Amino acid sequence: MTAALRFPMRHAGALAVGALLVTILIFPAISDNRYYQTIIILSLLLAIMASGWNIISGFAGYVSLGQTVFLGIGAYTTAILSLRVFGADTFGGDAANPFYFVPISAVVAGLFAGAIGPIIMRTRGHSFVILTIAFLFVMQLIVLNWTELTYGNRGISLPLPTWPREWGNLPFYYIFFGLLLISVAMSWWIRRTKFGMGLIAIREDEDKAAAVGVNTPVYKMLAYVASAIWIGAAGGVYAYYLSFIDPRNMFDIVYSVFVVLAVLLGGRGTIWGPVIGAFILEPVNQITNNNFNDWVPGGIWDANVRLIFFGTVLVLVVLCLPRGIIPSIGDIVKRRREGGKATEVGARFERKPMRVVERAAEEAAEAPAGPILEVRSAEKRFGGVKAVDGVNLSVERGTITALIGPNGSGKTTLFNLIDGTMPLDRGEIWFDGERIDRIAPYRRAYRGIGRTFQITRLFRRMTVLENVVAPLRSFSWLRLGADAVSGPEAERAYELLEFVGMHRFAEREAGELSFGQGKLVELAQILMLDPKLIMLDEPAGGINPTLIAHMEEMVRELNRQGTSFLIVEHNMPLVLGLCDPVCVLARGRTICEGSPAQVQADPAVLDAYLGEDFALEEKAGVT
Amino acid sequence: MTQLIQTIVLGLLLGGVYALLASGLTLIFGVMDVINVAQGALIILAAFMTWAMWSETGLDPLLGVLVVTPAMFLIGFGIYMATVRWIQGKPPSTSVILTFGLALVIEGVMGMVWTATLHRSTPSYFDESFRIGDIYLRKGQVYGCAIAVGVLAILYVILRVTWLGRAIRAVSANMSSARLVGVNPSTVAALTFAVGVATAGAGGSIASVLYPFLPASHYQWISRLLGIIVLGGMGSLPGAIVGALLLGVAETMTQIYISPQWATMVPWAVILIVLLVRPQGLMGQKLREDVAL
Amino acid sequence: MRRIVWLLALLPVLLALVLAAGCGGDDDDEGDGGGADTTATDGGGEASGDPIRIGASLPLTGDFAEPGEAARRGYEVWMEMVNDSGGLLGRPVEMVIKDDQSDQNLVVTDYNALIDQDQVDLLLGTFSSLLNIPASAVAERAQMVYVEPAGGSPDMFNRGFEYLFFAQQATAPHQADLFSEWVGGLPEGEKPATAAYIAADDPFGAPVAEGIQEQLEAAGVETVYSEIYPPETVNFDAIASDIAAQKPDVIAQGSAGLQDGVNLITALSAAGYSPKQMFQASTPSFADQYSDAIGVENTEGIFYAVSYHVDAPTPGNPEFLEAYRAKFNEDPPEDAADGYAAAQVLQAAVEAVGSIDDQAALKDWLHENSVETILGELSWDETGAPEQAFLLAQWQNGDEEIVLPEEAATSDTIVNPKPPWSGG
Repeated sequence: MTAALRFPMRHAGALAVGALLVTILIFPAISDNRYYQTIIILSLLLAIMASGWNIISGFAGYVSLGQTVFLGIGAYTTAILSLRVFGADTFGGDAANPFYFVPISAVVAGLFAGAIGPIIMRTRGHSFVILTIAFLFVMQLIVLNWTELTYGNRGISLPLPTWPREWGNLPFYYIFFGLLLISVAMSWWIRRTKFGMGLIAIREDEDKAAAVGVNTPVYKMLAYVASAIWIGAAGGVYAYYLSFIDPRNMFDIVYSVFVVLAVLLGGRGTIWGPVIGAFILEPVNQITNNNFNDWVPGGIWDANVRLIFFGTVLVLVVLCLPRGIIPSIGDIVKRRREGGKATEVGARFERKPMRVVERAAEEAAEAPAGPILEVRSAEKRFGGVKAVDGVNLSVERGTITALIGPNGSGKTTLFNLIDGTMPLDRGEIWFDGERIDRIAPYRRAYRGIGRTFQITRLFRRMTVLENVVAPLRSFSWLRLGADAVSGPEAERAYELLEFVGMHRFAEREAGELSFGQGKLVELAQILMLDPKLIMLDEPAGGINPTLIAHMEEMVRELNRQGTSFLIVEHNMPLVLGLCDPVCVLARGRTICEGSPAQVQADPAVLDAYLGEDFALEEKAGVT
Repeated sequence: MTQLIQTIVLGLLLGGVYALLASGLTLIFGVMDVINVAQGALIILAAFMTWAMWSETGLDPLLGVLVVTPAMFLIGFGIYMATVRWIQGKPPSTSVILTFGLALVIEGVMGMVWTATLHRSTPSYFDESFRIGDIYLRKGQVYGCAIAVGVLAILYVILRVTWLGRAIRAVSANMSSARLVGVNPSTVAALTFAVGVATAGAGGSIASVLYPFLPASHYQWISRLLGIIVLGGMGSLPGAIVGALLLGVAETMTQIYISPQWATMVPWAVILIVLLVRPQGLMGQKLREDVAL
Repeated sequence: MRRIVWLLALLPVLLALVLAAGCGGDDDDEGDGGGADTTATDGGGEASGDPIRIGASLPLTGDFAEPGEAARRGYEVWMEMVNDSGGLLGRPVEMVIKDDQSDQNLVVTDYNALIDQDQVDLLLGTFSSLLNIPASAVAERAQMVYVEPAGGSPDMFNRGFEYLFFAQQATAPHQADLFSEWVGGLPEGEKPATAAYIAADDPFGAPVAEGIQEQLEAAGVETVYSEIYPPETVNFDAIASDIAAQKPDVIAQGSAGLQDGVNLITALSAAGYSPKQMFQASTPSFADQYSDAIGVENTEGIFYAVSYHVDAPTPGNPEFLEAYRAKFNEDPPEDAADGYAAAQVLQAAVEAVGSIDDQAALKDWLHENSVETILGELSWDETGAPEQAFLLAQWQNGDEEIVLPEEAATSDTIVNPKPPWSGG
């Protein structure tokens, strides 16, 4: 490829977007055609909506099919205020200029989002999608029936614009353009910050995000509000532009799906994808409505053919292009660029020792007496099955305690209860002298509980470094705006990666790692939290002996520096060599607790777990 | 008092037909975790097909059920193999968006073939009523409800007694275990989808007599059906029946005792309240939240 | 997979080509528009020169498809008749008609396109208040005369518009003035005591029912039921049984179109209740469609108000009737006549002023003068609302008859009370 082409090819995306923006900016200067201006205005509106949708559904993964509800709320706020509150109460009389109320529309939309969001985001998946649709229709019906305020189905007519006729629609044009730029800028900013990283973590794996300290309820609410405000503002402007609004058109489900289609087309979760998708879809929509009959012989293009066309596009996009244009092109480009490079397969591990963390050292000095973790009579049932049936467990400070038992004995469930992923039915859990069984998972992470999962859970579409930077030790509103990967945290993250030996993978996507590599990264993740207690769920499962030894070394080193451990394991040599005490669980109950030697000899344990013929041998080279 | 009884009776008759229409949706969800938003459009498609047969040949629309149901079965099978099959296992929003697209396509096709004006099958009895004391029961609704009950009974028998039925219940309960005992989940999924669409077919035929319809009517239907399966518990057939009866009565009571305008709010209000307060509905399974495998 | 991506990436390129093509098509004089084109026929006569282009959008599909199509026919018949007799100002007339699909957003885009893209010389309105309210705002902003054939909601006329004119005799609240007057004037033994009002939540239907309710209450008739239903309601069983339980003497329905009126009657028949007097807005004017839908015996005695009657001795009516029957093999429904009348109004203004370039002159002339149409004489107040009165009509013996005012009446009896439903 010649040098002359290299620059444009590299930056093709940026150039394309730049060209689009400049075109929009200067278009009215080069053409007087109001019809095309109208198309651009409507495309700008769709782009603003798509950009907003992208924040809650692209970044955070909560797919909303009712986003037009905010358009309607914004439109009605502006219309009602300009006509009924500050203006004459007749259509078209001396009403106040609607533009004054556009900022209020934004605020009102945001308030609705802030109020309703937390309620409906208690659900996920199917339920959330349906709830957003329900929210849209309920608002439509409320506006329809509350005729004293909204004139119901008769709609509200806004005053005609007061500026000179020659200006035409240009004020609307540039205001929408401005709103789009603000909306995209906010999107871009969110993506760079810790807030954005938290949202992506929530999308990738919400429970894991909570387990590593992301304050999920607040993040989700903020995302919903952010997705709503510019749509609300656009709604106010749109009402003025149309000069007539009524409930059905302002709260339209088909337009909602249209917004989704635009983002899917352009690329969910990207910054410019929604804009590009909107600028493809809306012009096609308008032109097919007006002009197609001239080209299609027989003039068969009508409302029905349009429906079929758009329905088919929707189906095709979902089936064939699930990630959208921009990410797909991005993938192709990336593949071409990186084709042929060797990966880090089979490279030897190089570890560095860990430097002592100040906090752990201080706290070790001031630690109160008593076990760090205490579970009292915990119970948990699923339907008729009692997974955990009155378990008592305590982990002393500075120990490496093992939790063993046959499959199905309730070990993982117990972990879930301790870290908060599942609620306790009965019983108490005490951590570091404080009762924690009622507090949210992310708060337990703040208090110093870190936990790995049996099948490693990482945020697959983030890089390894981002994964390790994502965990948060505390929540602060100011920190939300901080850069996602930067400063002392990034350094610490890199150090931890060096500690586990994965620093060479820092820029790779976590989804590309092997199982064992993932385990190491997960360990680095929870170390970011400076936990007082680390719970490891089958750390030795599914990895080769060298790596097992590697793990054991790390556990010992961390333990020397003051971290307590609770380990679930099936690998008996590892357990009996590393851990003391050992606690045995069977059928949801503790059946034995004591030193490895005691447990080995206990007949109840042998019976439940090991079976009578099993004889332990110390295997050389492992312990 | 008569008014109250009349209202409730109307609501129950309505609910009976709703139950048939909702059964397919809940079945599909239970087995495949797919919310088939196109179910409304398929109901209207069946209504159009029945109406076309009736206006061409004079075949009573309620008898048309016998022809339309198998036809819809094949259509459902075809739709599954062409589109829904490929999105199994994807996140739930994907199925909603895909089936919404299908609904638009079906609406467009119906508009092209039959035009977007209101249609209704009007066999001789459509505006006649049975009288019991002071209560009027429209003949069309009584016959329709009876057929709906009949088809639901057949569906029930299929689910309980036949191999397919057992396979459906197995896959519904636990897909991996079903695989282990020799059930091919994709075949079961295809057949379930087809059965679900077939019930929409039967219901649509009945609806063609009871309510005037045009291609865009599917939005009203899907909102009701969603409300019913959410109320009854997504995936539960008995729940769908109970939910349908309750919703039918709630709608008619609202129309009379509050106002017709608020009646359209009922399904949505139900959805909001149920999903927020008791997401598993009346009779659904409380999903076991397995966090770590 | 890759292929799809490239295909979709080509879409913007395709788009640019499309826009270029559209740009090129702009200056064509062939009247390229969208939707259903109604281009000039081979008008004989002496019409010559550049055609005068008149643009309109109509709901040819969607909720208002039936009346929309009727209005289109009215426009078409007018255009052909004008071209056959020498055109408008000696020039042939060409109409550009778009389909707004009964959608308010589309009607706005359509009129914007007609004005800016197709650059038509004159405008005519669309059907229904719902669509005309936003469309007329577009016309007002562009300062073009806007004569609409159907849209009588009071919300049309309280915006201070100067270019808007409604081509029927009265606005919605006054549609049934003659009916209310007649009911109020009945002697004591015959006068009804109670009334039920049921209206669609529609800018036209609701005011009609409200107007009647106000007038009848003033005449001493007690209201026992008054409700509004969403316009897409198709199931009237519960409503009918509720109304029946109150046993009103009069039932007045502010229906939005054909279907809701038909469905209410069917439901009332099934519920076994027949009032003494029944009034429906617009629905009974659908002629054969109406009588086929409910059965011709059931039409007996039903009142409605119309703007038009085929036998009305108004100027131009026989010619219109002949042309319409020849072209479409049936009698023109009211909406077709209204479309024709709107075009007549526009024609009168253009011919009186003598040019199409000064829209302000056209509007001033219309405000100061009256026009003779097939609906009778029409004139307007400063808001564009007409100042005349509708005709009161009633179905008698399977025919539609005008019963009031006497000067226009085609039948000298009024059926009272309404006979019970047949069947049911």
